[in-house]
Amino acid sequence: MRSPGLRALSISTVAAFCVSLGLVFFYAPIEAEEGFVQKIFYLHVPLAIVTLSGFVIGGLCAIAHLRTREARWDLRSYVAIHMSLIFGVGVLITGSIWAHASWGHWWVWNEPTLVSFLIIFLLYATYQPLRFAIEDPERQARYASVFAITAGAFVPLNFIAVRLSASYVHPRVLGSASNLPGSMMFTFLVSLVAMALLFATLCSYELTAKRTRIMLKARSRILGYQS
Amino acid sequence: MIPLATTLPEHSNDGYVAAAYIVFFAIVLIYVAIMAVRLGRVERKVEALRGEAKNEAPSARAGDTSILEDPGAPPERPGRAQEHSLTSPPRGGEQAGETV
Repeated sequence: MRSPGLRALSISTVAAFCVSLGLVFFYAPIEAEEGFVQKIFYLHVPLAIVTLSGFVIGGLCAIAHLRTREARWDLRSYVAIHMSLIFGVGVLITGSIWAHASWGHWWVWNEPTLVSFLIIFLLYATYQPLRFAIEDPERQARYASVFAITAGAFVPLNFIAVRLSASYVHPRVLGSASNLPGSMMFTFLVSLVAMALLFATLCSYELTAKRTRIMLKARSRILGYQS
Repeated sequence: MIPLATTLPEHSNDGYVAAAYIVFFAIVLIYVAIMAVRLGRVERKVEALRGEAKNEAPSARAGDTSILEDPGAPPERPGRAQEHSLTSPPRGGEQAGETV
């Protein structure tokens, strides 16, 4: 499990998070309308962006798997989606906390951004049951890749559809409607980098652990060892 | 343009901010803890395999236990053929790139 790359990635993630938290609480100004609660923005939005990107990355790895038939791409696709689901839980919880603090409701059903994210999350929640319901490894990898590509394509489509939607109360961050002051934008970008690094580190950790377990099982079989 | 506050708001909901950050770090910590438990299991298996190999090595392999020295070794990027499906670990001797 020792890997110099993983160690460097872990250290840079911790460093980036320390800088990010420092900027969030000691550098970024307090917004006039929401006050201190707006600090959740620097956690929730990067988390959501990284989660959705992870789903898309899972789809891209699945395309590579179907093109090359190499199992490593299937493994990467699985890990990206698995990690995005974990991050997705964080998005839903932090979003609900922020919603309750700002709007007085834990969840707003007529808000397209919230509902669309929930749909995407629930869609991907079916990925693992679907995958592990198939016993044949070849078919399992193939079907999982098809699912990951289809669902991965749904993510940007969903994003565009929500953008085209007329009524929303959810704040826009990316695009022309975003008017963040320089200090807030800088803090947001650092938080985004920190979150992306965390995602990459955990994916790398999970991949390394899975490879180690696969190698161990292989060697157990060679020795005829039964766990 | 987003308006900025010149003074601290009187009714700041600090608890919500704390809750959001705590929840996030708790999720990450729980994940890392689960991974650590799994890693502990893997380490125990490695130890068991090492013991098994020591018992078998003198007669079968004349002291060659190199196949068990890998889990802690740095080159953690196996060849393409070594990365297998999630449910079907490779069969010994069938894969290219195996040392045995």
